[in-house]
Amino acid sequence: MTTEAVVATVHESVDTRTPLRICGNSTWLGAGRPVRADKTLSLQSDSGVTEYVPGDLTLTARAGTSLAEIQHVAKGNDQWLPLDPYGSESGTIGATIATASAGPLSATFGLPRDLLLGLQFVNGSGDVVRAGGKVVKNVAGFDLSRLLTGSWGTLGVITEVTVRLYARPRSDRTFVVPLTGSLVEQASVIQAMYVALSPFALQLLGVTVVRALGLGELPVALVRLGGNEAVVDAQLKALAKITKPGEIESEVWGTLRELEGSAPSVIRISSMPMRMIGTAARILAEEVPGVYTTIDPRRGVMRVAAGIESEGSEIETDVVNFDDLKSGEGSTEIIFEKLPAELWSRVSPSVVADPLSRGIKKAYDPFNILNPGILGD
Amino acid sequence: MTQPSASTQRASVSARLADIVGERHVLSRPSELLVYNSDGLPGYRRQPSIAVFPGSREETIAVVRLLAEEELPFVPRGAGTGLSGGALADDIIVVGLHRLKKILSLDIDNRRATVEPGVVNLRLNRHVAPLGLLYAPDPSSEAACTIGGNIAENAGGPHCLKYGVTLNHVHAMTVVLPSGEVVELGSRTGERDGYDLRGAFIGSEGCFGVALDVTVRLTPKPQTVRTLLADFTSVDDAARVTSAIIASGIVPAALEFMDGPTIRVVEDSIYAAGYPRDAEAVLLIELDGIEAGVDADLEVVRRICLDGGARNVKVARDDIERAKLWQGRKKAFGAMGRLAPHLIVQDAVIPRTKLPEILQTIHAISEKHGVLVCNVFHAGDGNLHPNIAYSADNAEESKRVHKAMTEIMNACIDAGGSITGEHGVGLDKMGYMESIFPASSLNAMCELRSVFDPGRRSNPGKVVPVHSCKEWHGVKSARETSAATVPPPLAAEPSRPVAQ
Ligand SMILES: Cc1cc2nc3c(=O)[nH]c(=O)nc-3n(C[C@H](O)[C@H](O)[C@H](O)COP(=O)(O)OP(=O)(O)OC[C@H]3O[C@@H](n4cnc5c(N)ncnc54)[C@H](O)[C@@H]3O)c2cc1C
Repeated sequence: MTTEAVVATVHESVDTRTPLRICGNSTWLGAGRPVRADKTLSLQSDSGVTEYVPGDLTLTARAGTSLAEIQHVAKGNDQWLPLDPYGSESGTIGATIATASAGPLSATFGLPRDLLLGLQFVNGSGDVVRAGGKVVKNVAGFDLSRLLTGSWGTLGVITEVTVRLYARPRSDRTFVVPLTGSLVEQASVIQAMYVALSPFALQLLGVTVVRALGLGELPVALVRLGGNEAVVDAQLKALAKITKPGEIESEVWGTLRELEGSAPSVIRISSMPMRMIGTAARILAEEVPGVYTTIDPRRGVMRVAAGIESEGSEIETDVVNFDDLKSGEGSTEIIFEKLPAELWSRVSPSVVADPLSRGIKKAYDPFNILNPGILGD
Repeated sequence: MTQPSASTQRASVSARLADIVGERHVLSRPSELLVYNSDGLPGYRRQPSIAVFPGSREETIAVVRLLAEEELPFVPRGAGTGLSGGALADDIIVVGLHRLKKILSLDIDNRRATVEPGVVNLRLNRHVAPLGLLYAPDPSSEAACTIGGNIAENAGGPHCLKYGVTLNHVHAMTVVLPSGEVVELGSRTGERDGYDLRGAFIGSEGCFGVALDVTVRLTPKPQTVRTLLADFTSVDDAARVTSAIIASGIVPAALEFMDGPTIRVVEDSIYAAGYPRDAEAVLLIELDGIEAGVDADLEVVRRICLDGGARNVKVARDDIERAKLWQGRKKAFGAMGRLAPHLIVQDAVIPRTKLPEILQTIHAISEKHGVLVCNVFHAGDGNLHPNIAYSADNAEESKRVHKAMTEIMNACIDAGGSITGEHGVGLDKMGYMESIFPASSLNAMCELRSVFDPGRRSNPGKVVPVHSCKEWHGVKSARETSAATVPPPLAAEPSRPVAQ
């Protein structure tokens, strides 16, 4: 598959009014609202790093390139793309940008929108559009790169992406901190870590997750410290003042990302960091079978994957448990990533119903052939 | 049918605007409007018809609604420090926002603040500094420019190398669209899905409406800051050292470059920072973070500098020394006012590995045309500012300067770079948009703009040349009237001291 082939497919779809389901490596197809499409446009074979200048710490890849391949290429120069969305490394860079997927590293290194320098896409009329560029700073023209990030394929088929890389840290260590004591004590440990540390990642894990990872029977904080040795040592000292950390293999992050696997429902609840910290201990301690809960206190995001063990577990009843996060001043945002098909219309029919979003969709995909329905309409 | 004369119409609009904001805050006499006929970029003058200065959010909305009702075009304006002619209004209405300067809320624990658009960047930083926080984007114009202007330009600054530009520090904003409708973009309290309209608005250069308030992310102050000055007898060595530091993987908080002509002009000015006058280049490097880690990185950076030919690497001993080293850098544009009556401040980006090569090219171009280029720039990002001081009264010199600038810009484009890293396209760079974007990209930008502003009344005639928009292809005169094909004027007028 090449950009020309994508253009040809889009043109054909326009002519025949055949809506397209756009796919990368199809690792995350259950996400989003059901798509009304008769034909699949897969970018899987459109893969490969097309330009990599280690000295510039920039890399350009075709949309179908897997994150694993990008990491492999970058590693050759002791560099990496600090982007670790939940799911597997076989997910493609195109889909990662299209869905704005991020993971535990994002509170430090940024979301996909922050790591993206430019992209190429084919809009719903078959025009090849270039956005941004290959340099690390650029304000030429309106920001189509940010517009396409998180647009779930509904504004254009992303065909190529340029991202910013970082040097691999000389030291990169992971520690597990069991959360013990009263809920108040736990909250104060979490808050102390939030204030005192600048970790690469800080995730709080609920009991079900902890068990699945074989890390015991208590909620834990997973702390990833990175940088030069001096930084990591200093941070470790700071951490040891707060609690008793135990070092574990950093493979745990990969396992964590893959854990939710085929969970039928995944939601993200986001709020202010302090609010999240305030309720974290109670939520994590609550044993809800089959519900995998992780919290990134710095980003203020709780991720809930449900229905893994018990088929019947309904996302809505799980959400109700988070009432105290949802109520009161300074509200919460709930982002539904994945739900059983029949729930969408009830829970979140659309996130693009406002006039601006509709106007943009109409301009970029006038025939409504790109992933129609996935964000609602 | 009789049309009311332009002046009657202006008088009636002024009166209605005065009803909203009070008479004192509407200017319509040409003599009063002189101050608003330029921004930070010398060389362009455009006389607005009226300038109106709302004093509150409600007044701003009312003003925009009135202009919508009357279908009148307008230009939002912050402090007017922009360097691409973005805030200029050509016989249309300026909506000045500097009176909206309230810090609306500050949430220390969650590290965020909500401010009105007229809040000056440095004022926000002074406000949060005692709380151990900072607002990271720090344009050199921080003492004057507004957060609204920063959002509109997606402003950068020396410390954006490590911390990122404005885009990376904004959670949400409220915007009054040119139609008068008020919308909330992004989320103040969390993350939101759907299209990233906040991302689309940032850097929209006043063309998508008026920001009424902005919720920004605050960053904890680093534990330690170390500032180094490395001086070189060769520009080439300094350029190679820059590339080497970036390639080493260390991310300095800032990595700034000043060449010989810049050093000497700064040292001759009241902003003298103690840079060695006989150096051909200095690098101002800042490292910050956790003390132990910073010290380790400092040693690596010092080694790279010395191995790369630095004569000397000086580390600032205290905050006073540090401030002095920075003052020379931050006031360099101002100091250049001494060289000649006029100054072109240029802004372009190149891949960082191409730095040595491009600086040689710039040097060759300046020799060829007999002009003096002063390079002072954000080297770590590859964001160049080749500036030329000259006298616009001299037509022959102006021509040479203009030729040299065009060649420099083209060299940056050929190197795979961008035509602007932080100052925006505005009026000044429109002519280059077609050299870096295909027609389809320009059209997609036009379409996005049309969604926010179907009537194209907010800052018309900026950023994307109007003839690039598909639906305007039929308009014959568009190309002729567009600034895209008109060489930037090098008007004979004294350059103002740059706003500081
Ligand atoms: C000495 C000097 C140094 C500089 N250094 C830097 C630097 O290091 N980095 C950098 O990025 N820039 C720099 N600049 C450029 C300039 O300061 C920035 O672009 C700044 O963001 C402009 O802010 P302002 O308030 O002056 O905006 P203005 O010049 O008044 O306006 C700029 C644009 O913003 C729009 N605008 C203003 N307010 C709003 C609003 N509320 N809503 C919507 N649109 C609005 C205007 O229409 C216009 O298009 C420098 C300028 C000078 C003079």
